Amino acid sequence: MFGEIFGAWVAVFLTFAIFSFLYKDNPFYKIAEHIFVGVSAGYWTSMFFWTQIQPNLFGRLWPSTHYSDGIWYGVYDLFGIFSSSIFPEGGIDKGHELHLSYLIPFALGIMMLLSLFKKLNWFARWGIAYTVGMAAGLRAYGFLNSNVILQIKGTIIPLLDPDLPFFSLLGDSHFNNLVILVGTVTGLLYFFFSKEQTGNFGKVTRVGIYFLMISFGASFGFAVMGRISLLIGRFTDLITYNDASYHHATIWVLVIMVAILGYSTFTDKGNSETDVS
Amino acid sequence: MLWKRQIPILIVAVIGSITLFGWFINEPNIKSFVDDDATQWFDILASFAIFLGGFNLLKMQLQKIFRRQRGWQYSIFAIAGFFLAIIAGFFYKGNPDVAWGTHVTADGTLFKWIFTYMFAPLQATMFALLAFFVASASYRAFRIRNFEATLLLVAGIIIMIGRVPLGSFISSWFILYLLVLIGGITVNSVFKNKQYTAIFVIVGIIVVTAAGSSLGWPLDQPGILYLPYLQEWIYKYPNVAGARSIMMGIGMGIFATSIRYILGIEKSYIGE
Amino acid sequence: MKFLTDLILKMGTVDRRWIFLVIALVVIIPLFFPLGLPIRATATTQYVYDTIDALPHGSKVLVSCEYGPSTKPEIHPMVLSVMRHLFKNKHKVYVTCLWPDGQFLASDALNLVARDEYGLTYGEDYVLLGFRPGNEAVVKGIVSDLRKLYTIDAKGTKITEIPMMEGVNRFEDFDFLFSASAGYPGTIEWVQYAVDPTNVPMSTGTTSIQVNDVMPYVSAGQIQGILAGMPGAAEYEALIGVPGIGTSGMDAQSIAHLVIVLFIVLGNIGYFIERNRSKKY
Repeated sequence: MFGEIFGAWVAVFLTFAIFSFLYKDNPFYKIAEHIFVGVSAGYWTSMFFWTQIQPNLFGRLWPSTHYSDGIWYGVYDLFGIFSSSIFPEGGIDKGHELHLSYLIPFALGIMMLLSLFKKLNWFARWGIAYTVGMAAGLRAYGFLNSNVILQIKGTIIPLLDPDLPFFSLLGDSHFNNLVILVGTVTGLLYFFFSKEQTGNFGKVTRVGIYFLMISFGASFGFAVMGRISLLIGRFTDLITYNDASYHHATIWVLVIMVAILGYSTFTDKGNSETDVS
Repeated sequence: MLWKRQIPILIVAVIGSITLFGWFINEPNIKSFVDDDATQWFDILASFAIFLGGFNLLKMQLQKIFRRQRGWQYSIFAIAGFFLAIIAGFFYKGNPDVAWGTHVTADGTLFKWIFTYMFAPLQATMFALLAFFVASASYRAFRIRNFEATLLLVAGIIIMIGRVPLGSFISSWFILYLLVLIGGITVNSVFKNKQYTAIFVIVGIIVVTAAGSSLGWPLDQPGILYLPYLQEWIYKYPNVAGARSIMMGIGMGIFATSIRYILGIEKSYIGE
Repeated sequence: MKFLTDLILKMGTVDRRWIFLVIALVVIIPLFFPLGLPIRATATTQYVYDTIDALPHGSKVLVSCEYGPSTKPEIHPMVLSVMRHLFKNKHKVYVTCLWPDGQFLASDALNLVARDEYGLTYGEDYVLLGFRPGNEAVVKGIVSDLRKLYTIDAKGTKITEIPMMEGVNRFEDFDFLFSASAGYPGTIEWVQYAVDPTNVPMSTGTTSIQVNDVMPYVSAGQIQGILAGMPGAAEYEALIGVPGIGTSGMDAQSIAHLVIVLFIVLGNIGYFIERNRSKKY
């Protein structure tokens, strides 16, 4: 219970520290920002290690199913002396078989880490090259199929279907299908920069721009919606932490922080601390 | 040069080609490598990239402290935060009933505490800050300078109001009156004649009022001016058309760029 | 009239910290004093609901959670609502995560809905397979051989020892996918590498910002409907009849949107007044 209450106070402090940036850049914000950077790096490192490296890499190099007294597991036992949590006795039991081919990504990974040293900077290139190659191969197919071919298929829709009405606000209709076809084609034509956009071609691309502007406007509306939703989420948590069970953490931290920032602003008259506005 | 340039380019070409053609080849060994092992190797290298980022951060923050650069005191907090998370991840579980490995996801551990009370609030608040800046930018910078900007603004406003419950309470007749007012402003700026403007506005108000009275002021009629319906139409049709053209353009661009990487024409990953 | 125009112009130069304060107030006040505005489901939300409702009882449904604390207010309510709908219809729910943070949040959601509300059994009615790094490579791995990617679940139990994993070897063994996505990797990767190659039906819930990137897939029929941000979550809560965080935030969302629109209108009125004055002089 103490952990929860202490945690609530920490969470509220960190939240208001970040929000204090809205007033002006200040030490509270800088401290919270640096804590965020450090904790994120440590969090990701731990999470990726325990969900991927230990079970899927070490678990395939030293699986418990092949544990023996040979040299290979002798190396494992040596590692186990330093960390029995990562290298438990008897091998790693994650349901894998022995795959020594996984020494290749292990070596590439170590090379990536060694690139921290300036002279060995280029070591990371091999690992990066592997990820770039794989991503290129995956995306070439994925984007062409889903984002181009299937979208073309989705644009070729009936314009003369007798079952459809001419216009419908909420359902399919000839007019709506025509809007999609015209909008998609003119929008695509706008992105064709190899021909000067003048004359009749310019008129067509102008229509394309109008459709793109409507799309951008919708994106703007959704962006505002999303940001306000996140703010609502934060305030909801702050209201929760203001409860008596958390000893009214929100109001206490807010009052103390406002007092300190107010005092610092009052005494900071001649100082040119970076101002937000 | 061979190790630093040619071999990376060769790796991209070989792995890229195998991955790409793996979609179309039915040979069991190649398929098994592409679908399973190659994927796992990619995951492992992605993890090492994260470690590299973490250690790089540590190196830079330590350098800042040792060189007493501006703001070095804050770097102490960054390093403290990093080591706190590492201790929770590798040295101290906080819950003896949980095994190593599952402690990063189980309840009652120090790692979960750090996630719930430090990482989550910090990340959420960083993003929530943007709400304020969006509002401020909308007020100070969003200007109707031309027809395209007007289209963008009107579409944005219709989506913003039409998608929330409040939009359902705004009657189509209110929008009609608003359109009469905007029409009056337009007539005034075109003809610059107060008489014409007054006639337009008065006639407009009379027509809308008469129509509304005769129909009984239904909230959602005419449907084209009822914001929830209008926003739905914009969202599903002209918006999709614009978004689709952007998607197809990006899709073709990514396909072309991927082929350039595989053929060794694009070499930005080795700094060229 | 001159007083009014001068006032509008003066408001245009106000310190932006006053704008921040106004936004903070218009969001906080409705949270304390809710208006109770009724929520109407849009067509795309209704489509998601109808698609899930039409699944035969006992279907194997893969729910993928790719969101974090920063996007929890938008996505978490829809995950809770969809899970309630799935468990009410007695489907088997398998949860994966393409984001590491998603695993904690998915675990919280399962504990709340499956364990506490429905009293279901882990391993028989629902399972948390957990997070695997690798972005689209993970999706591809799930499509080709799920058991090579997931040898253990999030609790460390071997997959072979989990009863409901019997017969589940690859993506095509699932009957439906719901992706709760906040960005990359997420919905788009599921569409490109899993759904389009295999034709397993899919619905999605995304953050408001991502909606426009995903709508073309919905329009083309590659995705069956979309829950768009917090309003989408609130609409789904209304459809299943269990109001939650999404619903409670809608009043604040409505008022905040209205205020921002007023800000935009006011800003533009000031702009036109200034433009006319400069033309005059």
